[in-house]
Amino acid sequence: MRLATRKLLDVSSSSLGFISIGIMGVALLVILVPIFSRGAQAFVFKGTIEHRRLLLERFERGDAAAFAEEYEAVRAARQPVYDTIATFGAAQQQTLDKMIAVLTRLSKRNDSIARLVKRRLRRISDDEPFLDNVDTVSKVLERLEGHVDSAEIAGDLALLHSGVDAMAPQVAALEELKDAVANLLGPAPGTVQPALPRRQYGATRWDRAEVRLQDLLYETLWDYSGDGMGHRVLKPRVEQFRDTPMEPLFDYVEHHAEAMLQPRWTCYWGFLFDKPLDIHIFGGILPELLGTIYLTIGAILFAVPVGIITAIYFSEYARPGRIVSFLRTCVSTLAGVPSIVFGMFGLAFFLNACHMPKGVLAGALTLSLLILPTIIRASEEAIRAVPRTYREAALSLGAGRWHTIVTVIVPAALPGILTGTVISMGRAAGETAPIIFTAAASVAAVLSFNPLQVWNQPTASLSWNIYNLCTEHEAANEIRHVQFGMVAVLVTVVLVLNLFAILLRARIARKLKG
Amino acid sequence: MRESSKTPRLNMPSERLILSARANLQNHVLGLVGRSALFVVTSVAAAAVLFIIVYIARDAIPFFQLRGVREFFTSTGWYPSGDPPVFGALAIITGSVLVTVGAVVVAVPLGVSAAICLSDVLPFSARQAVKPVIEVLAAIPSVAYGFFALVVLAPLLQEAGGRVLAVAWYLLALPLLFLTVAVISDLLTSRIQVEARRRLARTIALVVLAAGALLLLALTGRALYGLTIKTGTNAMNVSIILGIMALPTVVSVSEDALQAVGRDLREGSYALGATRAETMIKTIMPAASSGILAAVLLGIMRALGETMVVWMASGNAAQIPSPLFNYLEPIRTLTATIAGDMGEADHVTGSARYHVLFAMGLLLLVFCFLCNLASEWVVARQRKKLTGEA
Repeated sequence: MRLATRKLLDVSSSSLGFISIGIMGVALLVILVPIFSRGAQAFVFKGTIEHRRLLLERFERGDAAAFAEEYEAVRAARQPVYDTIATFGAAQQQTLDKMIAVLTRLSKRNDSIARLVKRRLRRISDDEPFLDNVDTVSKVLERLEGHVDSAEIAGDLALLHSGVDAMAPQVAALEELKDAVANLLGPAPGTVQPALPRRQYGATRWDRAEVRLQDLLYETLWDYSGDGMGHRVLKPRVEQFRDTPMEPLFDYVEHHAEAMLQPRWTCYWGFLFDKPLDIHIFGGILPELLGTIYLTIGAILFAVPVGIITAIYFSEYARPGRIVSFLRTCVSTLAGVPSIVFGMFGLAFFLNACHMPKGVLAGALTLSLLILPTIIRASEEAIRAVPRTYREAALSLGAGRWHTIVTVIVPAALPGILTGTVISMGRAAGETAPIIFTAAASVAAVLSFNPLQVWNQPTASLSWNIYNLCTEHEAANEIRHVQFGMVAVLVTVVLVLNLFAILLRARIARKLKG
Repeated sequence: MRESSKTPRLNMPSERLILSARANLQNHVLGLVGRSALFVVTSVAAAAVLFIIVYIARDAIPFFQLRGVREFFTSTGWYPSGDPPVFGALAIITGSVLVTVGAVVVAVPLGVSAAICLSDVLPFSARQAVKPVIEVLAAIPSVAYGFFALVVLAPLLQEAGGRVLAVAWYLLALPLLFLTVAVISDLLTSRIQVEARRRLARTIALVVLAAGALLLLALTGRALYGLTIKTGTNAMNVSIILGIMALPTVVSVSEDALQAVGRDLREGSYALGATRAETMIKTIMPAASSGILAAVLLGIMRALGETMVVWMASGNAAQIPSPLFNYLEPIRTLTATIAGDMGEADHVTGSARYHVLFAMGLLLLVFCFLCNLASEWVVARQRKKLTGEA
C-alpha cells in the first residue's frame, strides 16, 4: 500500500472515532434539551387568574386584596359571555315553551292526540336538562305522525317538527359550548360547584388555555376517508350558531381571552413543595420528592456500612483463595442482576417471606442490594489507593491493625468512599424497577416528615410517578408539564449528585498529586 | 502490640510491650471475633446473590410443575388471563432478543470506535471534556430515557417517521460514504506508477464513485422518506434508546481494555512504521479483543435487563414481528412483562399466572449470570495473556 493511502485510512479511522463521539454528544443534547426546556415550564410559565385563584384558595398564598381587585375586572370581562349564553338559552326556552303550548292546545282539541301525548308531555319539567325536554318534544311529534287526519293539524305539526329539528342540534351545541367555556374560564357563576378540583378551576396555564380556547372556537372532527388513518379536521363552532345572537360571542371570546384570564409570567416554586391536587392536575410534587428522598437515604443507610466493611475485608484481611474469589464473583454477579429481578426478589423475600408491609423499608432494602456492588467497588478502590506509607507509619507507631484501619486508612479513603456513595445515591434515586412491587404507590398521601412513621407505608416516588403519570393517568396529555417537570427534577437531582462526585474525585486527584 | 483505643504513648518502658499470655490470648480471640464479624458482613453480598437465585427459582419451579416446559418455550400465545390460559413466552423472548440485538447494533460500533478515539486519538484535555458526556449518559435514570422515548421520540416517529429516518440516514451515511469513496478510489489507483496519471485516475474514480454513492444515498433516502411508521412505540425506538443507554458501559469497559494493553505494544508497532489505524487494528484490538468482548457482553446485559424503557416505549404487543427483522413493529419483552403483569398476578399468589413471571425472571437471571461469568472469564484471560506476554 502507498503511504498516502495508509495515511488516508488512518485519518478516516480517526474521523470514525470523532463521528461516534459526536453522535454521543448529540444524543445527550437531544435527550436533555427537551427534558430541561419543557421541564422548566413546570416552574416558569404564564399563569392565568385561575392559577392565582387556585393558589389563594388551596394553598393560601398570594395577595388576596390585589386578587380581588383583579378578579373584579376579569368578572366584568367575562360577563358578556355568560350574558349572551343566558339570553340565548332563555330564547330557546321560550321557543320550547311555545311549542309545548301549541301541543297542549292541540291535545285539548283532539282526543286521539291527547291520548298519545299527555303522558309524555307530563315528563317535561324545568328540573330536567333542557336537552332532554327538547328530545321529549321531538319524540312526541314523531309519535303523532300518521295518527293525524285533519290537514290543519298536520300543518301545525309540520311547523312544530321543523322548529324542533332546527332547535335540537343548537341545544346540543350550546351544551358543548358551555362545557368548553367552563373548561376555559372555570364554572359559570351561579352554577353548582363541581366536586372535582379539575372542574372547579379554568385553565391555570396560558399554554393550556390556548388549547382550550381552540376547543371552544373549533370542533375537532376526524376524517377517516382516504388512507384509513384519521386526519384532524377543525370545524368552527360559530357555524352552528349562524344568524343567532350567539354569533358575535366567538369573536368576543377570541379577542378578549387575555382579558378574561389575565395571563402573567409566573415563577411557581411551589411545584417542588406543594401537595398535588386531583392526581397532579394541579399542585406540586411534594410526595414524590419526599418518597424519593426517604427511599434513597434508606438504601444508603443499609448499603454504605455493609459496603465499606466488605471493602475493608477484601482489601485488608482477605487472603487470595477459593472463598474470597467466590465472594468476589458473588459481588460482580450482584452487579449484573437486572433491576427488575431485584424487584421480584424484594416481592418474594421481603414481602412474601418476611411479611414486611409494602413500603419504604422494603423498597429501601431492595434498593440497597442494588447499589451494594457499586459501593463495595468504589470503597475498595479508595482503600487500595491509600499509600502504603500511611499504613506503615500507623503500624510503626504501635497502632493495631483494626486501629490503623479505623483511624488512618478509612479517613484517608473517605473522599473516595463518599464519591462512590454519592454516585450510588443517584442510582438509587433514579431506579424504578426494584420499587414497583416493593414500595411504590401511584396515589400516596404525603409521607410524614418523621422517618420513624413512614417505614411501613407505600410511597410515591419521582421515578415511579413519571412512569405512572405518562402512561396510566387519565389526562396524561394535559399534564405534560407536570411529567416533564418531574423528569427534569429527577434528572437534576441525579446530575447534581454526579457533579458533586466528579468534583470530589477531582479534589482527590489534586490531593494525591500533592 | 496493644489492642487499645487510646493513642499509644511513645516513651513507654520497653518491657511493657511484652504482653502476658492472657492478654495475648485475649488479643487473639478478639482479633478472631472481629475477623469473623467482618467476614459475616462481607458475606451479605454473597448471601444476597444466593437468596436471589433461591427465591426466584423457588417461585419459578412451580410454574414448570404446573404447566410443563414445552408450552413456555415453544408457544407464541400469551393469554395469561384467558380461559384456558396460555403461557407461551416465545414471542416475548423473541422481543427481548430483538431489542437486545438492536441495542448492540447501535451501541457496539459507536462505543468501540469512541473508545479507540478516547484512548489513542484524543489528547488528554479533550478526553477530560468527553468523559463527563459519558458519565452523564450513564447517570440519567432509565425512567427518564423511557419518558423521552415515549413522549418525545415516539410521537416524532409516528408523525414524521420517514422524514426523521431519512435525515438521520443522510447525516450518518454521508460522512461514512465519503470516507469509503475516498479510500476505495485511492486503493484502486495505488498500482499506477506515474504520479500525474495516478492523480488523474484517482480524481476520475473519486468523481464516478462519489456520483454512484450519492445516487445510492438519494435512492435509499427517498425510500426511507416515503415510509410511514404506524406506531411510534416500536422495537426500533426502544433499540435506539437502549443502545444509547448501553453506550457508556461499552465505551468505558472497552477503553479500559484498550488502555490495559499498555505502551510497549503500541511503541513497538509505531517503531515498525505502522500508522495509528494499523497499530489499532492489527495490534491493539487483537490484544484487547477479549476485553472488548467483555464490554459487548456487559452492554448486552444492560440492554436485556432494562425494564422501564421497554415497558414504556416498546408497545407491549406479545407478537413476533413478520418478517423477523421488522423493527417498526411493536414488541414485548421479558422485563416489561414482569413489570406489567405482576400487579395483576400477585393477588393470585400460587397460580401459574404468578409463577410464570418468576420463570421469566429466572430466565433473565440465568442469562445475566452466564454473561457475567463469561465476561469475567474473558477479562481474566486477557489479563493473564497480557501479563504473560509482557
